[in-house]
Amino acid sequence: MIYLFAISIIYTLIKNKDQLLSAKRNLFLFLFLSVIGLALGIVTILNPYFPSIAMLLEKYMK
Amino acid sequence: MNKELSLRQIAYMFVFISISPIIRQLPRALASEAGRSAYISPFWSAIAMILITAIVLGLLKAFPGFNLYEIMLQLAGTFFTKIIILGYLLWIMLSLVAKINIYSHTLQFTLMPQTRSNFFLITLIVLVSYALLRGIKTVFRFSEFTLGTILVLFIILFLCALPKVRPDYLLPVSTIHLMDTVRASKSILAVGGNIIIVLFLADKLGISITTKQKRRVWIGVLIFILLNFFITLFTIGITGASLTANLPFPFYITVKSISFFNILERFEVIVTLICTLSDFIAICIFTILTIRCLEWLFQLKEKSFLYAPLITIIYYLTFYVSKTQFEFEFLYQNVILYINLIFQYAIPILLGLLCLIKGKKIKKQY
Repeated sequence: MIYLFAISIIYTLIKNKDQLLSAKRNLFLFLFLSVIGLALGIVTILNPYFPSIAMLLEKYMK
Repeated sequence: MNKELSLRQIAYMFVFISISPIIRQLPRALASEAGRSAYISPFWSAIAMILITAIVLGLLKAFPGFNLYEIMLQLAGTFFTKIIILGYLLWIMLSLVAKINIYSHTLQFTLMPQTRSNFFLITLIVLVSYALLRGIKTVFRFSEFTLGTILVLFIILFLCALPKVRPDYLLPVSTIHLMDTVRASKSILAVGGNIIIVLFLADKLGISITTKQKRRVWIGVLIFILLNFFITLFTIGITGASLTANLPFPFYITVKSISFFNILERFEVIVTLICTLSDFIAICIFTILTIRCLEWLFQLKEKSFLYAPLITIIYYLTFYVSKTQFEFEFLYQNVILYINLIFQYAIPILLGLLCLIKGKKIKKQY
């Protein structure tokens, strides 16, 4: 899935090039969200059995 | 002024997206806290629901044609508004991820236990993208037209279930349980608070809101309370409070025992379908709200470039938030429920109070 998401992000970057380059804010937001999304994906691939937030909370709240 | 939506459409959408938590989570949550008297809780929650609906309609009257962000700018200033909107953005994203999680868990529990959740997520992304490509109005119209049919189906289900209800499962109800029913009503409030979605989309309603349209909102709230009452009543009346409190999807199990004069059976498939449709619309609405919050927060004029990175984040966040139904239940009951109460009640009430205090100053601006 990560490849699919990466391709869709690159496609969006090319398609909306003018919008993104017209304002620094747009480009920053796009890159910021893309990096977060892809980083989450990479961590999921590297460690698919990581404990979820709910599991961690359950462990520390009980 | 662009009048893209009507208050009636938003009211019906509110009922529509509330259906899935009402039939999936609430009977269990209410039965575990209030036992056999759980069906009284919807009436307690009605008090807070009336208050929040009155605040929402009051804000619409005080700020015609303004959305939540613009109302906040008037009342709280830019700095606090941005912080609150950031909070709303995180809350909506959490709600969206939770909704996607429970959507796939429902399908796994009911119809497709062997299918991996990835499959549901991918099909959901495709469907939501397609629905949103058609525009926001399509989503609202779909819920508006489908709601009537669903309510008729529920009435038929209730009529079929009537002979199966055991009075000894519902009575006696003692005053000792009264406080339990009040405490349990928080679960209903966490769902009913979605009425504040009206404020997010208020700029699409136009300037004039008629009394007839406001009445539709009240009708929506009434339907929500009655649906809650009857579903809890029938679930506990047929399955029993202790079993309802321990089953993952008690209404689904209850409906399994219902038949239409022993001719038509297996209504549970319809329940799953209703639940899935309700979740689908809720996911579409939360996606729209996420985009709106980002637009407000960063003063964006264009939003098309946000979809791809947002879908990536939301897809992977579903794995980070919870992985099993038990984890989700824990997270919902201990975290999401209370966060919902803050964002759906505390902040709008605060806005309502600010509106009352600053009323005269605001009036001078128009």
